[in-house]
Amino acid sequence: MSEGKELSRRGAIKVLGAGSAAAAASVVAPAAASTAERTKRYAMVIDTRKCVGCHACSVSCKAENDVPLGETRSWVEYVEKGDFPDVRRSFLPRLCNQCENPQCVSVCPTGATYKRKEDGIVVVDSDVCIGCKYCLQSCPYGMRFINPKTGTADKCDFCLHRVEKGMVPACVNTCQGRARIFGDLNDPDSEVSKVIRTNATTVLRPDMGTGPMVYYIDADHTDERDAEKLGTYVRVETHRRQQKRV
Amino acid sequence: MHELNWGLPVILYLFLGGMGAGSGAVSAYVFLRNGDGNFPASNFRLARWGALAAPPLVIIGTGMIVFELGTFQVALQTLDFSLFFRFINLFKVINLSPMSIGSWVLALFILVSIVYAYTFIGKNAQSGDQLHSLRKLLAWAMVPLGIGVALYTGILLGAMPGRPFWNSPLLALLFMVSALSTGVAGILLLRALFGHKHMVNAENFERNSYMLASSDLVLIALEAGVLVLFLIFAHLTVGNVHAAVSVILGGELTTYFWLGFVILGLLIPAAIELKYILPALLRREQFSIPRNMEIIVCALVLIGGFMLRYIVVTAGQVTGPVGI
Repeated sequence: MSEGKELSRRGAIKVLGAGSAAAAASVVAPAAASTAERTKRYAMVIDTRKCVGCHACSVSCKAENDVPLGETRSWVEYVEKGDFPDVRRSFLPRLCNQCENPQCVSVCPTGATYKRKEDGIVVVDSDVCIGCKYCLQSCPYGMRFINPKTGTADKCDFCLHRVEKGMVPACVNTCQGRARIFGDLNDPDSEVSKVIRTNATTVLRPDMGTGPMVYYIDADHTDERDAEKLGTYVRVETHRRQQKRV
Repeated sequence: MHELNWGLPVILYLFLGGMGAGSGAVSAYVFLRNGDGNFPASNFRLARWGALAAPPLVIIGTGMIVFELGTFQVALQTLDFSLFFRFINLFKVINLSPMSIGSWVLALFILVSIVYAYTFIGKNAQSGDQLHSLRKLLAWAMVPLGIGVALYTGILLGAMPGRPFWNSPLLALLFMVSALSTGVAGILLLRALFGHKHMVNAENFERNSYMLASSDLVLIALEAGVLVLFLIFAHLTVGNVHAAVSVILGGELTTYFWLGFVILGLLIPAAIELKYILPALLRREQFSIPRNMEIIVCALVLIGGFMLRYIVVTAGQVTGPVGI
């Protein structure tokens, strides 16, 4: 067994046998490994070099999740900067970062939103949520909205209903340029793990301490507020109802 | 333009809830200090005003935030009965979310303040009657609960790095001092409006007016001090917080902040109060303030309290982290 595998298995055991079960871990471990119920940590890499801004991901997300009119779980921002002829337009696909330390979870007063232990996906239980909007405020990425049909908080959940059945999220499935790679970071042989190991990646607003699980390759982090510093023209089109980035 | 997910109902809750919690805590404190003797200098009637003001203010405010809930809004459209009471879920669990702890404290405060007010309501309610020991027990609970309700809203807003304008421990302190200040102003206003009719002892009435006005002045000074610290620390840092606080230091909310809150809500009422308090304080003269002036001061303090909530809630939502 490779060292990486050993490490990840140990990590999995740690999560499974937390707390008082630590003593029994050596006994439990073989059984846990054999049932293939290993803890996953889903992540996504978006290679913006392959993104052409076609919005197929946004559209498939809308259709797949029946996202109400005017709201967005997933969208693509266009970042324009420079003056002719030194210009660039970049595309920044956005979706919930499924953070390692989600602020939305720590502020939720009802426990309606939580990070799933088995795969790290942050979900909202719409039967528990009261719609207090505390999580909308706390998300540094503006990912959450109040679903006008249920009155509860809503957001991207990596297409949990698909992922549970072994499929990839709709946006990954539909991406024309194969810019999106989805998989389990706890599996060192997964494509997403390999791509993250072999590329320079960034996350959005790392200073927030949230530990995003959505990684970008060659993302342009320019914001409209940077225009003055750069001394050039910068325009960000969000392609959602909220015309400004949160 | 950024969207305001928390609008006027939340602003009104922060204002009314803070004022109610403040008046309740002040009433209980005054009662415990010097309310149980039936001598002329008793503060019983003063405590009564605060006790009666607290429950309606906090209950109306709480109604506002229930109204702002997403599920309640959908319930209003669909008339789905179960959705009206979805907020009960708050009381099925308790976790470390400031809103969870705050909801429990708020619920407890409402219950205790209703009973506390009840002990003052009777026509013959006075120190030493049969409700006295209950009243005293509840007063002991009212002080920490009132402080808790006044404090938790600032902690709630301050807990999010993603909202840099709010992300300061001083915000909770600012809200608490403002709550006490508006609470005192609320009691003063009620006395000025309705207290003269039932005045028992004119000398004691003026003495209590003096006590309230001078406490209010001290609280305003404290509030200004906390505000200065808030601004200094925000301005001295770099990045998110610095950029966010610029919204009141030259940004779009500058006029509201300086004119509506600092000048109208802090400086002018403080100056008027000072004018009437100083002779009594320095030259031991009899404190007296014209009734109209008293009403104006209280109204200004209340406007300031509202403006503070309005500016803070808005500023926090129109600003965000810098860059992406």
